[in-house]
Amino acid sequence: MQERSDRRLRVLLAKLGMDTHTVGVTIIGHALREAGMEVIFTGLKQTPEMVAAAAIQEDVDVVGISTLSAGHMRNLPKLARLLREQGAGDKLLLAGGVIPQEDQSFLTEAGVHKIFTMGADTRDIVRYLQDWWAERQASEAA
Amino acid sequence: MNKPITAFTSADDNIAAATERWEAETRGPFVAANPERRDPFTTQALKWPIKPLYTPADLDAAGFDYMKDVGFPGEYPYTRSTKPNGHRSGFWTMTQVTGFGKGEDWAKRARFMLDQGLSGLILEYDLATTNGYDSDDPMVEGEVGRAGMALDSLEDLERAFDLPFDKLNYLMSVCNAPQPVNLAMIIAALEKKGIDPQEFVLHIVNGILIEYTCVGRYIYPPEHGLRIATDAIEYIIRNHPNWAPLSIISAQLQPAKANPVQEIAFSLAICCAYIDATLERGLDIDTVAPYLNHFVVNVDMDFFEGICKLRAFRKCWARLMKERYGATRPEALKIRLMTSPTTIALTLQQPLNNIGRLAIMATACALGGAGENMTTPLHDEAHSLPAEEAIRVGAALQHIVAHETGVAETIDPLAGSYYVETLTKQMEDAAFAEMEKIFAMGGATKAIESGYFQRALGREQYERHKDLEEGRRKWVGVNHLVLAEEKREIEIFRLDDEMEEQQVAKVRELRARRDQSAVEAALERVREAARNGGNLVPVCLEAVKVYATHGELCNAMRDVFGVHAPDSQLAGI
Amino acid sequence: MTDAIADGLLKGTIAAGARAIRWLDDRDPRGAAVIRHIFPATGRAQIVGITGPPGAGKSTLADMLVTELRRRELRVGVIAIDPSSPFTGGAILGDRVRMGRHTLDPGVFIRSLGTRGQAGGLSRSTHDACLVLDAMGYDIVIVETVGVGQDEIDVVNLAHTTIIVGVPGLGDEVQAVKAGLLEAGEIFVINKADRDGYEAAWRQYELMLHLREVSLGAAAGSWPVPLLRAIATAAEGGVEIVDAILAHGAALRKEGTFARRSGLRDREQTLALLRDHLARRALSPAGEAVLAEVEARRIDPYSAVERLLAELDGKALTT
Repeated sequence: MQERSDRRLRVLLAKLGMDTHTVGVTIIGHALREAGMEVIFTGLKQTPEMVAAAAIQEDVDVVGISTLSAGHMRNLPKLARLLREQGAGDKLLLAGGVIPQEDQSFLTEAGVHKIFTMGADTRDIVRYLQDWWAERQASEAA
Repeated sequence: MNKPITAFTSADDNIAAATERWEAETRGPFVAANPERRDPFTTQALKWPIKPLYTPADLDAAGFDYMKDVGFPGEYPYTRSTKPNGHRSGFWTMTQVTGFGKGEDWAKRARFMLDQGLSGLILEYDLATTNGYDSDDPMVEGEVGRAGMALDSLEDLERAFDLPFDKLNYLMSVCNAPQPVNLAMIIAALEKKGIDPQEFVLHIVNGILIEYTCVGRYIYPPEHGLRIATDAIEYIIRNHPNWAPLSIISAQLQPAKANPVQEIAFSLAICCAYIDATLERGLDIDTVAPYLNHFVVNVDMDFFEGICKLRAFRKCWARLMKERYGATRPEALKIRLMTSPTTIALTLQQPLNNIGRLAIMATACALGGAGENMTTPLHDEAHSLPAEEAIRVGAALQHIVAHETGVAETIDPLAGSYYVETLTKQMEDAAFAEMEKIFAMGGATKAIESGYFQRALGREQYERHKDLEEGRRKWVGVNHLVLAEEKREIEIFRLDDEMEEQQVAKVRELRARRDQSAVEAALERVREAARNGGNLVPVCLEAVKVYATHGELCNAMRDVFGVHAPDSQLAGI
Repeated sequence: MTDAIADGLLKGTIAAGARAIRWLDDRDPRGAAVIRHIFPATGRAQIVGITGPPGAGKSTLADMLVTELRRRELRVGVIAIDPSSPFTGGAILGDRVRMGRHTLDPGVFIRSLGTRGQAGGLSRSTHDACLVLDAMGYDIVIVETVGVGQDEIDVVNLAHTTIIVGVPGLGDEVQAVKAGLLEAGEIFVINKADRDGYEAAWRQYELMLHLREVSLGAAAGSWPVPLLRAIATAAEGGVEIVDAILAHGAALRKEGTFARRSGLRDREQTLALLRDHLARRALSPAGEAVLAEVEARRIDPYSAVERLLAELDGKALTT
């Protein structure tokens, strides 16, 4: 009966830990909304447990974490693990902010799909998500 | 024979007409053959249009009057300088961001700095402390001792204050949300060490209201945040009149992309909220204003926006104190500025370029009137931990500006420039209009609660980012003259877990050995005072002396005030 | 797959419920299949709508109510709706920030939805999302409307209990609440009661409620509409409001109207779905041809509708 789908990319943006700088998530949130996506913001001072629970309740496609305070080596792998354990491992996990090059391969091994360092062009991020989304939808249709 | 200048400025018809002629006959044809390189020309942050030429006619159009708008140094409205002799009797204090390895033993570092001849120290705390948690709270895992000192209890401060206080003139404590708790700890530590509070100046930042608009290190809802900040202000005014109870770090608005008019209007309106709250405690404006006039202001790369902002700040403060509050004492009418080149203008790419940027911004500070002191950030701050060379270069920069350029040899040398005076006046007018808007909303606290500042800043953040992405703003190294092969690595400070483990163990051990019932009683008294409106500093003082911890005190207040959890609208996102 | 999701959500599994709501929100055909499957298990949950002008503090109030409901060991679903951009279709959904403390409570399910072009304060999928939460076993489902205007009457049809939230200092307090809401609200709350103007706001609402009773007369029903005060940021007023919510639910059940309300709601939803379906069917190539005639002003809208219906008539309503 509902013939045509209104499928829309949903993104959860969160800040893990005590860092409270919101300029990054503000800019990305606006950019994603302009690109037609639904952005759910969890707020500040989140733990990996809270982010995983919210990601599942909101059934988002993408989880985007902004981190500026070097807890990322602990927090991000923990979040990736929690998502996997709760059956949400197919959600795209992205991280952005201050993440040194030398930490990136560890994080990628631990389950972070892509890292956008500070100053990344929002158009690149949007394009990346749109490409990923197109691929995801194509493989679902197949 | 030279006609006196005044004769020209009153004959503005002639100048305006002459300008039109020049435009039609000289400039116009040139531009037709040589199109302008920008369209439109605008200032960097305000994005106000910049005309090709400014003349006396522009001053007339802006309603400029030398005696009313500019005046004389050391006299109302202080546009040219709050100091009667500018920088001719003494330069601004030259300070440096030292940024030593954070989390290091603060006392050791402090002793070293005092030995080096520095007489001012800054107490900065880790994110656990500034957000009101003890080191063993699960919420702050990984943060303990990272961004600054971990302050769980009076014992930590007793250890940190193992210093030659006779060498210390000035101590700043950067705490914000839990400032009354922090203040109590400092007072108690000084008492324990037998140090006379009159012997030096303690300056607490205590600037919680700006935190709601950006940065975000708040705990309680805004009205309670203001109340406890006012408790600290009142306590200091009444008990430690040589201390400074507030610093409005207007500079924090800059990374949040506030433009100069917003910086002036938001930070002055926020200061008015503190002033109004303090006046309600039964003090008068001439007493209160001199305590609440410390502002930290940065300049960005737009040379004239920076200079005019500093001039406008001085003028706006003076006018505000006089017109809104009827202040009469010069100390109440004079703002105290601490200036600095901003770090947000510095690039990760091609870091040596930053030395040039810092030199330009430091010169702008000096030309705008550097205020009480100027701080130079480090040119490689964007990506690395402080290196000796960077520290040396940064320090030398200020001396070069001071001694080699001659910009500080006369007071406010750019006064009278048609462009500078026009832009200063426009900024002042726009800032007052914006402040009226905020006052009409019921003041800064109401504006924060409705999300006004946050939304305005959120919009600016997005717009400025798009300007950069879409090339309307050129930033050397980032989107202009980019080095293809450049790969800049970011160094971050890595803390070993052992330090955090030790701190966690310390606070747990403290809780086990102290008089728990005394602590409970003290915490209950804090809640009581929070409920019935008593000043929180004395009850916090009693509580820290029986070794109630920082987190316990903040939680006691959470019990009464609740916590601030803005939705995205209110966060500006 | 739809069976797995439907069975999962009937067992209360959050991921399954979340996926079902996603399908319904996205108008994925599997969503309808899920509703078919779970419909018999619905009808138990009390739907509570919260509406009011911007700045009334609806999210904070909802957060306070969730805390109080959980204290009484009731399971709560929350649907928070925010406006989608009319230009890009995107949205920033930020209400759950205010309810962060409940994120890890297994007895609370918070879901954010964008309006996705729907006017009236709700999204097209809100009704279905309520059915999902109902079937999952939540006792109360709170629906928090967008709150940007006065046209938010859709919540009245959806909810068993509509809470109207007012706040002092908005000027003419009662004007901020549209007429339809005034008549249909079951609980009125003045939030931020510590503000200036509280007394005046209270008096205005009192007067308005009295006039409402007088003008509706017998039609007003037997439920005594309470006017309550709250300071949601200080967790004040939650107990009284929850008392009223539960009392209203009990009253409806006692009267026998609880189920009838649910039924009326589903009837409205059916008509909405039908309208929606017909409109979408009209956008077929044949339909587009008729619409082109109207655009070119060769036929009038009424004649166009007759022709479109004739086009659709022969076709069966497919799944």
